[in-house]
Amino acid sequence: MIMLDVKNLNKKFPHFQLSDVSFQLPQGYIMGFIGLNGAGKTTTIKSILNLISVDSGDIHIMGKSMNEHEVELKQTVGYAFGNVDFYTRSKIKTLTNVYKTFYDNWNEESYRHYMQKFKLVEDKKIAELSTGMKVKYSLALALSHGAKLLILDEPTSGLDPAARDDLLDVFRELVQGGEISILFSTHITSDLEKCADYITYINDGRIINSAEKEDFVDMYRLINGRVEDLDHIKDRLISYKVTSFGFTGLILTENFAPSAAFKTAIPNLEEIMIYYSKKEAAHV
Amino acid sequence: MYNLLLKEIKLGVNPFFFVLPFITGALMLIPGWLYFIVPLYFCMITIPNIFGGYKSQNDLMFTSMLPVDKKNIVKSKVLLIVLLEALHVLTAMIYGKISLSLYPYLDYIFFKPTPGFWGLTLIMLALFNLFFISMYYKTAYKYGAATLVASTAAVLFAGGAEWLGIQNQFVYNLFKGSGSGDGLIHYSILLTGVLIFAALTYVAYRIAYQRFKKVEV
Repeated sequence: MIMLDVKNLNKKFPHFQLSDVSFQLPQGYIMGFIGLNGAGKTTTIKSILNLISVDSGDIHIMGKSMNEHEVELKQTVGYAFGNVDFYTRSKIKTLTNVYKTFYDNWNEESYRHYMQKFKLVEDKKIAELSTGMKVKYSLALALSHGAKLLILDEPTSGLDPAARDDLLDVFRELVQGGEISILFSTHITSDLEKCADYITYINDGRIINSAEKEDFVDMYRLINGRVEDLDHIKDRLISYKVTSFGFTGLILTENFAPSAAFKTAIPNLEEIMIYYSKKEAAHV
Repeated sequence: MYNLLLKEIKLGVNPFFFVLPFITGALMLIPGWLYFIVPLYFCMITIPNIFGGYKSQNDLMFTSMLPVDKKNIVKSKVLLIVLLEALHVLTAMIYGKISLSLYPYLDYIFFKPTPGFWGLTLIMLALFNLFFISMYYKTAYKYGAATLVASTAAVLFAGGAEWLGIQNQFVYNLFKGSGSGDGLIHYSILLTGVLIFAALTYVAYRIAYQRFKKVEV
């Protein structure tokens, strides 16, 4: 089943626009939503949650339109915003006691279980939690009301490597049952190499590609060659860098015919992002 | 709806603002004071502090993520305002009653705390609500200009009413002279105040909801 279906989202702001954003997240998988700062990740997530009204496009969660069933669908969606805090001077238990009154399927036993698992102390204030613990608290809340779709906006930003790794393990564990799906935006691509099943890449408000992680990476090649050979291939490159040793460029695999003049390698997600951003810069 | 109101009371509003009416209300014990100021403390202290708190705690985003519809988000905030206003007015009325019995022979320059005066107070708060609630929901987080305009409207109304009470013999008699003991007229003014308060607050809520539908979080 398709858990989240985003179709042709368009939204125009004075200095930025989302253009035809579409992607699908099947149930039971983790999708990494990557893009540079300001690429449109948070705007897309806000559109999914109906926090901003789009000019056109459709969002369906579990086959139901978000526009028509917003209140009902929000019962099944959990969220965590890595960089936004709410009611930080309140104690965890105060916030939880208020929060749970909004959810029909609140499960106190689950809540206790996750609080213990994540080592969260109810008497602590939100402000006293580390960034990683705040994300875990959001997850505990979401999982206790039976959320099937977790939308996490930059949950790992600002975390140390150990806390990041720990959180990624939690994500993997959550999707193992096949019921929960996670949409997870980040610009730290190494997180996704570890845990994402699907990658959706947004650049300047447009989806460049949305595919299974291996297929996504396989669509590109990083090629190396001498500067004298650059002219033969320049037009087909997404972008390139020239150094004293020659050039390195990113190319779509389908546009590249193997040749003795060039060395090829499979790029990582970060390299794909960097070369695409260079392409944008070249067009400005 | 009930859970949203409970959320405002447990999370959004500092308990201090539920105690404040009992402190500001005690100002009614000052003999012959300008009693319109007592409910104005709500407009100038409680409102900006509560709504400043909402802004700094990202309440708009927190509430928008909850499984509730936009209509109820607005309704719960309006109900909270009405609840606090009622608390301010009721406690001030009780202190006012005490004040009247403490100083039975006082000559009032400003309005005497009669039931009719509380009717005027409710009209003043109705004007405050009309401007504040409708202006605030243009953005659902900017409260400064809305507080300023709404408080100015309330002060102008209070100032105008007090001026009339000094300049106009009929109004003077009604509120401070021989008419101040006429229960029928005074309770009619109070009832009119309640009705105007309900009507203008409802209008403010309708405008606010229409505006909030267009707000982008």
